[in-house]
Amino acid sequence: MARLSTCTLIAAIMLCAFAAMPSLAGNALREKGKPATISGSPLTVTPSRDWNRLAISPGKKTELWTLDGENLNDVTFFAGIEPGKPLVREVSKKRKPLPKFTSNTLLVEVPELLEGTYRASKDIATFTVSGAKPDRFLEHDGIRFTYDYVDEDALPRRGEGRAALIKGLLYMATYDAPRLHYYDRTLEDFHALTDAAKLN
Amino acid sequence: MKRSRIALTAAALIMPTLASGAPAATKSAPPPPPYAGVYQPRGVDEIGIWRDEDEEERQLSNSPLVIRDEALNSYVKGVLCTAVGPDRCKAARIYILRTPVFNATMAPNGTMRVFTGLLLRMRSEAELAAVLGHEFGHFESRHGLNRFKAARSGTDLLSWAAVLTSMSGSYQSQSSFNSLQLSVYGGLFHYQRDNEREADLLGLGYLNASTLRPQAASQVWQNVMGEAEASASARGLKKPRFDAIAFTASHPPDAERAAYLSALASPEGASRDDGAARYAKAISSWLPLFLDDQIKLNDFGASEYIITMLSSGGWTAPLWCARGDLYRARGNQRDLVAAAEFYNNAVALDPKLPEAQRGLGLALLKTGRVSEGKAALSRYLALKPDAPDAAMIGMLTAKDS
Repeated sequence: MARLSTCTLIAAIMLCAFAAMPSLAGNALREKGKPATISGSPLTVTPSRDWNRLAISPGKKTELWTLDGENLNDVTFFAGIEPGKPLVREVSKKRKPLPKFTSNTLLVEVPELLEGTYRASKDIATFTVSGAKPDRFLEHDGIRFTYDYVDEDALPRRGEGRAALIKGLLYMATYDAPRLHYYDRTLEDFHALTDAAKLN
Repeated sequence: MKRSRIALTAAALIMPTLASGAPAATKSAPPPPPYAGVYQPRGVDEIGIWRDEDEEERQLSNSPLVIRDEALNSYVKGVLCTAVGPDRCKAARIYILRTPVFNATMAPNGTMRVFTGLLLRMRSEAELAAVLGHEFGHFESRHGLNRFKAARSGTDLLSWAAVLTSMSGSYQSQSSFNSLQLSVYGGLFHYQRDNEREADLLGLGYLNASTLRPQAASQVWQNVMGEAEASASARGLKKPRFDAIAFTASHPPDAERAAYLSALASPEGASRDDGAARYAKAISSWLPLFLDDQIKLNDFGASEYIITMLSSGGWTAPLWCARGDLYRARGNQRDLVAAAEFYNNAVALDPKLPEAQRGLGLALLKTGRVSEGKAALSRYLALKPDAPDAAMIGMLTAKDS
């Protein structure tokens, strides 16, 4: 009897663990033409070519997509970041807090928020926002910006981000790749992917 | 190995005196050991380590993180030469890395890495010389090689002990093995800390014999403690302990270092120049960038401490602007009001600083002072028409709201 109840308990714990961490389900293929929901949010993307969704994700409301591996081309979706929350998971809320998205963050400050998040989480100093202009994203007024940075592996990377503030939530997609070769090669795919994103 | 044992014994003899209290005021750190000139690695271990480091240095020299400003590099090299002497300093090749942490390292083959976070925190040539001298002390005493050998002996011992324990299979021997493991690891960490103490004393020895003020060495650690305390307090953490360390700590406690460096600094040196003005001048063109790199790390207390420290020489427009950025990034309403005030101070000192106008405009917009905010943003665009975010800011100034 005691044994049975222990088994039930273990099964229950495992079930809870799986339910709490859907991202542990493993890497998955995101097939061409099939709408994919991002992290259980209203954000849906219909890719125009096959993509990989990685099992790892930097935060609760984020998803990581790639073609050749996250170090070579990495698209991160931030699907509805709430005010008071950081963009990615904090290693230590107390000792190493990350900058938070707030209800009074302006669209023009979104690149600064991403910059602060990269700098604080990676302990890097080389990050520059190279451009920012108004652009539509998810059929709302948004921002499109570009940036350059050098990660701890000393490889210069370039990135582009598109963001919009919708009903007080931050929706953003960023694309990061090594400046040499990979950035230019996958940029069009990123544009096609984000153009095909919409809110349900 | 023999040399390191002598050094260790010496350190072991000196350390209890240091820990138990300040030594007599007449004592000062011993003069540095004689320098042997251009050194070539000897023995298979040292040659191997140097080869590894040579390879690392080849990559480092091409790294995009290296700051290649000739004036800054020759200044830092000059400070090292003032500290350790023109003959010794030829052995070092300095690379200034744009990394926002307080650190410097020196590899066994003479590669010295100086991080920009260190340059931001130093207040005088003497403080920088104290840190560079410490790192040079590691190099000259071949601490890297000695630690490698110590780690190898320790883990060799543990491997053999593990084999014997598994052959015996008794609880008694397993328990002895666990104790041995703790002792060996504890011993290795302790050895590393003793190396750090020895390097501290060597660094101070160089400084005592130089033309700079040796009391600055202790000041470095007092500043480090001040910053750590400010950082913890702003984050609502407990006050850090500076007198105690963990089992695995790589360095002696900061308070101990500050105490012995102060006690062993040559009293005659107290009246010497610390080169604060020369230092400030040498890094002035880089300071706004280094400060910006620090502020964006989201460490409010530490950044505020550094800004206050830098402002002791008088407030400048970039300093006010940096403080505004710091408060605006934290973003509470009270911070935004404070930020607007700091940006205003910056604008009063230098109306042509575009970043101050931008920060002022955004802070004012977010505190409801829309028309003033738009005016500041328009001034930003006029000062920097080709700013990367010109189109976004342009939209804010044009929009009716």
